Amino acid sequence: MLPLTGGLYLGWALGANDAANVFGTAVASRIITFRKACILCSVSIILGAMLQGGAGIHTLSGLTEQTTMTLLIISISAAFTVTLMTTMSLPISTSQAVVGAIAGIGLATNTMNWSGLTKIITCWVVTPVGAMFFSCIIYRLLAALIKYVPMSILTRDKILWSGLLIVGTYGSYALGANNVANATGIFSGQLAGISDSQLALFGGVAIAVGVLTYSKRVMMAVGSGIMPLDAFTAFTAVASMAVTVHIFAVIGVPVSTSQAIVGSIIGIGMIRGTHAIKFGVLRNIAMGWFLTPVISLILSAASYAVLVNAKF
Amino acid sequence: MFFVNKQKKIETQIAQYNRQVANCMDVFRQALQQYCDNFDREAIKASFEKVHKAESLADDIRQDIEVVMYSKALFPESRGDILNLLETMDKVPNQAEAVVHMIWNQYISIPKEFHSEIIQLVDICCRCIDAMLEAAGKLFTNFTNATVAVGKIDELESEADRIEASLIEKIFSTQPDSIDKLLLRDLVKNIAGISDRAENAGDRIRIIIAKRSV
Repeated sequence: MLPLTGGLYLGWALGANDAANVFGTAVASRIITFRKACILCSVSIILGAMLQGGAGIHTLSGLTEQTTMTLLIISISAAFTVTLMTTMSLPISTSQAVVGAIAGIGLATNTMNWSGLTKIITCWVVTPVGAMFFSCIIYRLLAALIKYVPMSILTRDKILWSGLLIVGTYGSYALGANNVANATGIFSGQLAGISDSQLALFGGVAIAVGVLTYSKRVMMAVGSGIMPLDAFTAFTAVASMAVTVHIFAVIGVPVSTSQAIVGSIIGIGMIRGTHAIKFGVLRNIAMGWFLTPVISLILSAASYAVLVNAKF
Repeated sequence: MFFVNKQKKIETQIAQYNRQVANCMDVFRQALQQYCDNFDREAIKASFEKVHKAESLADDIRQDIEVVMYSKALFPESRGDILNLLETMDKVPNQAEAVVHMIWNQYISIPKEFHSEIIQLVDICCRCIDAMLEAAGKLFTNFTNATVAVGKIDELESEADRIEASLIEKIFSTQPDSIDKLLLRDLVKNIAGISDRAENAGDRIRIIIAKRSV
């Protein structure tokens, strides 16, 4: 059971950080209260994890063979990487930290499932591109609705307010369905008496606890990270992020909501004009994307080597 | 759920405010017409009083709207935009009231040769306010269409400027040297100031639309 605590910690960190991708803009701009966002987000995450989290759990557990020691190394390496990246103020992808750590063990033990890893890395690349594509489509459709359907500015607000609640809830569901595997996926079939459904529940609850206890600061900070968002662009960004992450949840590949939301915002920036995009922030994000799996991989491989040598 | 009930309430109150501003401009135009037709301070007093009452009523409605809007109504951005617009629009009835106060307090008499042009200036200003109210109303029915009415405000404001300049020139070219010249010039500037305030409101409306353009 000890390694599971590492997974639950990861779930907590994931909830604390990634809820901001879903409700950050709406909460920071006081469109939705933090309390309302937290409740919607937590319930939806647990539902997503329970109902559609199984596919991702299956993918991660099939990447490499595990022992109690490797489970512990993976959890700690991923958790340490997440913490390190946070202290460096670089954006975190828990998926990348976990997969990087698993790959480190896979390389060290020579049991890597390369086709599975290739599938995951491909999805990492496709995630922001897909989100960019969806954000362009959603933006155009919504823009046509607002442009050609006569409405009051208050009706526009009403549509966007309801829309933000709906896509926020859907995004949280997709977050739970997709990212629960990061928290507890590697423990599938490894812990006696604990089924995948129970792992999904534990992971979902850990993420929800992260949202409830520690997400406010990140939510307030995320509002205008890459480019300033209003209700219209926030709706577009969250909706396209939710669709993208949900698609990968169904495929069974854990991806980063941060990468998806960044892709969405770049898509909006491409339509509105790239002058609004803060390229310095984008550069940091790109650096985080590269460093997270690499650091995690090195840590887990090195830890494994040290522990194995110490043992014999 | 704010949006279902309060949206209707705010839209109704803003429509009521617009009607009150239109009413204020009507009584203002009638008062100025009456003043030009028959320069009798006692007779005109009641008409000027009507302008004051209409302005006060518009103020009351605006304050009611502010109370509703501050009770957690609307997106914060929209709340700020609408309150700023109402503040700007409120300067229109204030200016109309300032004109009648000026005439009353400073005992200004308008020579006959300026009557038609003064009334023409008042009419243009009133049409400019009509366009402002149309634009403001469109924000609550079909906001993307409000730009047409804003364009009309600009045209009418330019027309008011042209009449103002021509009147001031005429005042200084035809009147004998006297303090009345300066008073008349100030009166003309104050009347034309009504359309300037409408233009300011039009600029605010233009910004509100631009912020929501996609």
